[in-house]
Amino acid sequence: MAMKVEYINPFIESTYDLFSTMLGSQAVRGDVGVAKPTANPRDIMALIGLSGMARGMVALAFPVDTALKMVNRLLGTEIAIVDDTISDAIAEMVNIVAGGAKAKLSQQDRPPIDLSLPTVVRGSNFNVDYPSGTVWLEVPFNSDLGSFSLRVTFEMLEGKKA
Amino acid sequence: MKALVVDDSAVMRKVLIGALSRASITDVDQAADGQEAVSAVDNAEYDLVLMDWNMPNMLGIDAVKAIRAKGKKMPIIMVTTEAEKSRVIDALKAGANNYVIKPFEPNTIVTKIQEVLAKASD
Repeated sequence: MAMKVEYINPFIESTYDLFSTMLGSQAVRGDVGVAKPTANPRDIMALIGLSGMARGMVALAFPVDTALKMVNRLLGTEIAIVDDTISDAIAEMVNIVAGGAKAKLSQQDRPPIDLSLPTVVRGSNFNVDYPSGTVWLEVPFNSDLGSFSLRVTFEMLEGKKA
Repeated sequence: MKALVVDDSAVMRKVLIGALSRASITDVDQAADGQEAVSAVDNAEYDLVLMDWNMPNMLGIDAVKAIRAKGKKMPIIMVTTEAEKSRVIDALKAGANNYVIKPFEPNTIVTKIQEVLAKASD
């Protein structure tokens, strides 16, 4: 799946928006790179699919420590272990990032891009194998809540009816 | 004053319940999808509904249509990641009174709740 690098910008902007508005935190991005299929995807990864006039997947991947700090900031709690609340929150965050980005990518004369329901994978011993031919771009982020990464594979179906 | 919070994310429901509390609404029921929301309004009278869009079983916009089809007139605020103008128009046509796009600052949702309730009591 070919992916234009500039298409990742709306996802980066949405990540900034999420952190600044809901978490009172300023996320700082590193350089965009190609995600290695066998790279450690971190401890918790939330994925969501895009369909319609765009096709692809968006993922947010967090170390446990970052995930806990984010959710505790969001809810004003002191959760110390990864539980369903943490997974639920991470799922909602990838939903918000994908939702904001798709609004920026949608074109007025085309039907809006649709989102799937998010999926969360937990555990430090899993690999993510991407279908051959797909390219995932990865953007590392840092914040006062810790590091995390954004991964996106995505193509616009130019000129095709969704 | 009684409110219904509809979102498939338990965490987002907690965030919204916190916002309702800051707007002095503490009597709150929860629903995890559109079907549960439609059932809830059959069994209780609500002064306000906060409704997500993308949920399993029944989308929020379809729940809004179903609630309005029952003749229920309480204010409904869509609280959703769906930010395209066409989605906002669709929601308002379906019977939603207002629209908040996620992510939102905590004060934004509290203000919106207060505005909608003030308008409903006019």
